[in-house]
Amino acid sequence: MQLTRLALSGFRNYAELEIEPEPGLNVFVGANAQGKSNLLEAIAMLGTGKSFRTSKDVDTIRYGADAAVIGGEARVRAGSVNLACTVAKSHAGTRKTYTLNGSGVRYSNFLGKLRVVTFVPADLHLAGGPPSLRRAFLNVALSQEEPRYYRELVRYRKALQQKNALLRTATTIDPELLAIYDRELVDAGTQIMLARHRFVEAIAEAGRAAHARFSHGAERLDAGYESNIVFERPDPHAIAAAFEARLQHVAESERARKAAVAGPHRDDLSLALDGHSLAAYGSQGQQRTAVLALKVAEYVVLRERSLEAPLLLLDDVLSELDEERAGAFLAGVGDYEQAFVTATQMPGTLPQRARTYVVRNAHVDTGVAAC
Amino acid sequence: MPSSGSVAGPVAALINEFSKLPTVGPKTAARLVFYLLNRPRHEAQALAEAILAVKDRVRFCSICFSLTENDPCPICDDDRRDARIVCVVAEAKDVYAVERSGAFKGRYHVLGGLISPMDGIGPAQLRVKELVERIGREDPHEVILATNPNAEGEATALYLSRLIGPLGVVVSRLAYGLPIGGDLDYADEITLAKALEGRTTL
Repeated sequence: MQLTRLALSGFRNYAELEIEPEPGLNVFVGANAQGKSNLLEAIAMLGTGKSFRTSKDVDTIRYGADAAVIGGEARVRAGSVNLACTVAKSHAGTRKTYTLNGSGVRYSNFLGKLRVVTFVPADLHLAGGPPSLRRAFLNVALSQEEPRYYRELVRYRKALQQKNALLRTATTIDPELLAIYDRELVDAGTQIMLARHRFVEAIAEAGRAAHARFSHGAERLDAGYESNIVFERPDPHAIAAAFEARLQHVAESERARKAAVAGPHRDDLSLALDGHSLAAYGSQGQQRTAVLALKVAEYVVLRERSLEAPLLLLDDVLSELDEERAGAFLAGVGDYEQAFVTATQMPGTLPQRARTYVVRNAHVDTGVAAC
Repeated sequence: MPSSGSVAGPVAALINEFSKLPTVGPKTAARLVFYLLNRPRHEAQALAEAILAVKDRVRFCSICFSLTENDPCPICDDDRRDARIVCVVAEAKDVYAVERSGAFKGRYHVLGGLISPMDGIGPAQLRVKELVERIGREDPHEVILATNPNAEGEATALYLSRLIGPLGVVVSRLAYGLPIGGDLDYADEITLAKALEGRTTL
């Protein structure tokens, strides 16, 4: 897929902006704090509806503006789509609305119309950080890919909140009511675990191949799906049965701890190098290389599964990584239809089909193609 | 929105009161206040009296817990209505919604909300015990669970069906489906899947 037009109004430091990106590589070049990352953030929000930098939507509204509007047009396999995401100030904080081809739609119908794989400096903590980062990595990728995954995730979270509230606050817990929330957790959780299991299997393979290239075959990267629900076969019946059995097993301890302890909300994606946990033993360099491989794998798997290449968004990664590794990353990704990259300096070597834009104080000048 | 310093005290006070109402923001509240300022006094008085009358004269029906001026409410008091079918709803406003359909001639039971532990609402906070007692007392043939088709409504319906199913009463749930006059194209996937599940033979 390809973004053919991006229009911003009242977004971050942009009062008004309209650009028409090219297929292939688009490079935003500029000094710090000029608005390069804001462009990538806006493009990502057209895909996921959420910012990769903040959970406070109000931060995306330009100082003095009432609303931030991100509009875009994309060419996808099925034709072209027109997308818009609006964050408006309201008396209760902010209100976010989505439009698809001119009509207002729910978030679940907006999500994933434009698919993006982002790689930002914060992602470098993916290997060494807490499990929640790796669950978020799985959720962002899978929610874009399958609308159903996102629905089940919402259903699961809601039931989990209710169950936790019941365990925490009720003086005598009604077993019938607890059973209803457990039923819901099993139903939704089974679909989540199945999707995660399959996805991790796919990225493990693609990640191992990418990592072998980065490390010149010196080390072997293993990625595995790690859940506290141990199931024999990756099919819905086996998973549901294992989940139910686990819930029974921990029922007493859940009551004692007043919290739901069993289920995919405690999942992790384990990463190991030659059999040793990366989080525990990996050097910073090893962790970075692994993340690089994982991101390449995410991109490759999403492209294979949908037969359509997602947009690739690389924020400041060229400067965080040395040029050799950045080049290896783009080479590892292979055929990308369209990528957006930010950099503080004009990169020394650029592939063909690259277009550079100079970003200075919320103005974007379409430079000449670098080659 | 005018700041509180720029308008007369009573105006600011009324804007503040209106903006506490659901779905009313400060802009709408200000518009309502300035509208009322331009209307004759008796209209404002009628509004004020209607608001007080609601608080003073409306109470819960001791049988179905719907809102009523007289106890029991006109629906529970109407012998022509079928006492053998009880429709369970979350709120009194849902009684009016079902009544508008004109398709239901039974009685109601208002729960007073939906089960949601995260909002501090469990079965004990709702009129669940009263429903069970009523079933024991009136021995209805069927109980229709007409809670909203969202997570809380589903959980509440499921909970009630487990609770009252063993009492020997037929427990039914409103059907899920497509809106009349709608278009299959525009139906979301979940609604369509539910409509397929709940299809009926012709």
